[in-house]
Amino acid sequence: MLEPVLLANFFIVFFSAASVILFGASYALLFAWSRVRSRPRLMPLAYAAYGGLVISVLTLAFHANLFNNNFWTFIVMLMLVGYLVAPHAIWHLCVGTHEDAHEDEANPIKVYQQR
Amino acid sequence: MSQTQALWWASESFWRKTAIWVTAGSFVVLIFLTFDTVDQITAGSKANRVKAYSVINNRIDYVFDEKRNFQVPVIGPEEPLFGKKLTEEEAMALVSHGKLTTQAKNCMNCHTLLGNGAYYAPDLTKSWLDPAWGSKETREETMVDFLMNPQDRLHNALGRKMPNLGITEAEARATVAFLKWMSAIDTNGFPTNFKPIDQSDPAPVPAPVPVAEPAAAADPAVAAPAQQ
Amino acid sequence: MAAIGISNSAPLNGGQKLAMKYFTVAIALFGAQVLFGLLAGIQYLNPDFLFGILDFSVNRMLHINAMVVWLLFGFIGSVYWLLEDESGVPVVGLGLGNLTFWVFTLAVVVVVLVYLLVQVGPGELQSIWLINEGREYIEAPRWADIGIVVCVLVFFFNVAATFSKGKFTNIGGVLVMDLVALAGLYLAGMWYTPNISMDQHWWWWVIHLWVEATWEVLVGCLMAYGLIKTMGVRRKIVETWLYIEVALMFGSGILGLGHHYFWIGTPEYWFTIGGFFSALEPIPLVAMVVHAVFDAGTHKVKSTNNPALAWIIAQAFGNFFGAGVWGFMHTLPQINLYTHGTQWTASHGHLAFFGAYVTMVIAFMYIAIQKWRGDVYMSGNLVGAWKWKWALFLLHAGMITMTMALLISGYEQSQIERAIGGSTWMAYFEAQGHVWFMQGMLWRQIGGWIFAAGFVLLAWDLLTIGKRETRPALKVQGE
Repeated sequence: MLEPVLLANFFIVFFSAASVILFGASYALLFAWSRVRSRPRLMPLAYAAYGGLVISVLTLAFHANLFNNNFWTFIVMLMLVGYLVAPHAIWHLCVGTHEDAHEDEANPIKVYQQR
Repeated sequence: MSQTQALWWASESFWRKTAIWVTAGSFVVLIFLTFDTVDQITAGSKANRVKAYSVINNRIDYVFDEKRNFQVPVIGPEEPLFGKKLTEEEAMALVSHGKLTTQAKNCMNCHTLLGNGAYYAPDLTKSWLDPAWGSKETREETMVDFLMNPQDRLHNALGRKMPNLGITEAEARATVAFLKWMSAIDTNGFPTNFKPIDQSDPAPVPAPVPVAEPAAAADPAVAAPAQQ
Repeated sequence: MAAIGISNSAPLNGGQKLAMKYFTVAIALFGAQVLFGLLAGIQYLNPDFLFGILDFSVNRMLHINAMVVWLLFGFIGSVYWLLEDESGVPVVGLGLGNLTFWVFTLAVVVVVLVYLLVQVGPGELQSIWLINEGREYIEAPRWADIGIVVCVLVFFFNVAATFSKGKFTNIGGVLVMDLVALAGLYLAGMWYTPNISMDQHWWWWVIHLWVEATWEVLVGCLMAYGLIKTMGVRRKIVETWLYIEVALMFGSGILGLGHHYFWIGTPEYWFTIGGFFSALEPIPLVAMVVHAVFDAGTHKVKSTNNPALAWIIAQAFGNFFGAGVWGFMHTLPQINLYTHGTQWTASHGHLAFFGAYVTMVIAFMYIAIQKWRGDVYMSGNLVGAWKWKWALFLLHAGMITMTMALLISGYEQSQIERAIGGSTWMAYFEAQGHVWFMQGMLWRQIGGWIFAAGFVLLAWDLLTIGKRETRPALKVQGE
C-alpha cells in the first residue's frame, strides 16, 4: 500500500532525493580521486559524503513514508548497501579492464602534432 | 596476457555475455508482465481496471477507498449519457469516435490525458467529474456546447482560451462519451484529493451511497498481487 | 591532399558525405525546435499571441517533433560518419542510402507543412492516416510512420551489410543489435485502439524504450567511437566498457518502464517494479563518474578536437543532472502522484534530452566539421575559439535557466493544484495564475532567448570554425 507524501514534506522529499544522487556522486568522485592519485587523506572525505548520503536516504525514507512497508524498507536498504559498494566494485572493474594497458605508460601522451 | 585471463570478470567476453543475458532476461520478464498487464487493462476485463464501454450508461463517481488508501472510480445507478441507453457495441463505437476526435484535434498537445501530454490546459482524466460543469443535470449539454464553441469562453483569469477546432456536434457528443468512459478507469488514485461534481439524487429518493459493483470491491486483491 | 581550413568534401568517404547531409538537415530542424519552443513559451505569457493562427498545440507539437526528428537525423548521420572507418570497407548500398535521405527529408517537409497548414482533421481514421496521429512525440501521421520504418530499414541495411562485408567490430555489433530494437519498437506505436490505457501502455514502449534504453545505447556506441578518435583511448578498453554500459543500461532501463505505469490504469504491481528500478537507475551514472575519474587520472590526455571533447564532457554532466538528479527527485510513486503531468516533467524533459542527446550530436558534428575542413587543427589556442566556447556557454546557461524556472513552476503547481486543490480545473487555473508560476514562465522565456542566441552562435561556428586556421590536426597515436 502506498502512502503519499504529506504536503508539508514536499520540499524535504525533493531536496533529500536530489541530495541522495549528489552525495552518491560526490562519494564516487572523491573515492576514485583518492585512489587514482594515491591521496589517502581524501578517503575520509569520501566516506563523509557517503555519510551525507545515508542521512539523505533516511530523511527521504521517513518523509516519503517508506518504512511503513516491507518492500519499500527493502528498497531503502538496497540503496544504502548498493551505493556503498558500487564505487568499490566499479573501481576494481576499472583496474581490471586497464590491466594490460601498462605497456603504454612509458609514453603517456598519446596525441602528437601531425607534420 | 595470462593476466587478462586471470581477470575473467574484467574481460570483454565476460561482459559481452553478461550484456546479452541481462538484456534478454529483462526483456523476457517484460514480455511476461506485458501479457498480464494487457489482460488486466483490456476494456471490460475481469480485473475491472478499465471498464467496459457500456459503463457510460451508469453514474460514475470517484470515492476514497480505505483499503487501498486512495480514491477509486465507483459505478453507480443507471444514468445513460444523453438519456439513451446503449449496448456494448454502440457504446464502443461512440467512445471510439470520441477517442479518434481527441487524436485528430491534437488535444494532447495542450491537455494531459491520464497525466500524459502538454501542460497548457487542464488534465482530462476526471474532466467528466469536474465541478466546473455546474450541475449534473446540465453537464452533458454544457460540455457539448463548450467543445463546439470554446474560442470566446473566457473561463479563467489568465486569458487562456481553447481555440475552435471545428468540432461537429456528433464529434462533441462522442468526445463527452470518451471522457465519461475515461473517468471510470482505475488510475491507482491519480489525481489525488480530487473533489468530484455533486451527483447525488434529489432528497426523496434514497441515495444509493457508493455501493460498488461486486467486482470493484473484490478488485484490490486481484489487481495487486505483488503489493504487501 | 585537401587544403587546411577550406571546406571541402574531398577528404570525406561516401558515408561521411551522406552524414554531412544528415547533419545539415539536423541543424535546420534544431533551429525549428528552438523557434517553435519560443513561440509556445510566449503563449504562456500572452495567450492571445497567434491565437487561432498557430495555437499552442501546433507550436508545441512542432517543438517536440522537430526535436525527435533532428536527433534521429543526428544519430543516423553520426552512424554513417563512422561506418566506413569502423568497418574498413565502403558503405554497401550507398546509392540507396542517398536516395533514402532525400525521401526522408521530403517526407519531413510534407509532414511539417501539413502540421502548419492543415493542423487538425475530422474525428475519423483518415485524419490519423493523413494529418496527425495526436499522440505526443509520435504525432506523425500513419503514412509517415510507414515511411519512417522503410527509411530506417534502408539505413539498417546499409549498416548491417557494411559491417558484414568488412570488420564486424564490437561497436558495430552492439550498433546493429540496437538498431533492430529501435526499429522494432517503433511498430508498437503504430496501431489504433479506442482504449486509452492500452494506447498509453504501448505508447510508452516506444517513448521509454527509445529514450531510456535504445537511444542511450546508440549514444554509448557513438561515445565509444568518439573516445577512440579524439583521445586515443584503447579500443579493447572502450569496447569492454561499452558492454558493461549496455548491461547496466538495459538492466535498469528495460524494466524501468515501470515508472511510467503508475497512473494510466495499469496494475499496482508496477509500483513495486518502478520503485525498484528507479532506485537502481543511478548506478550506471555512479559507474561513469568513477570510470571518468580513473581515466582522467591515469592518462595525461591532449585532445585532437577540443570542442568535441568539451561537448562529450558536457554530455557526462548533462546526463548525470538531467536523467539522474532531476529524474530521481520525482520518480518515487509517493511523490510522483503529485508531480506527474506538471511542469516538473517539462523541467526534467528539457534537461535530460539536452544533456543526454543534444550534447552528443553536437560533439559528433564538431568531429565531422574538423575533417570536412581538411583535418584542421582544433586543439588549444584555436583561432576564433571564442565562438564555440560562447555557444557552449550560452546553450548551457539558457538550458539551466529554463530548467530551474520550470522546476519552480512545477513545484508550485504540484502543491497548489495537486495537493491542496485536488486537480480540478479551478485548482489548475489557480495554480497557473500564481505569481511563482508566472515568474517561472517569464524566466523560462528569458532562458529560451539565451538558448536561441547560443544556437545562432553554434550554427555560425559550425559554418566557420577552422576557417582561419593553418595548422593541421593533432594526430592520435597509431592512426
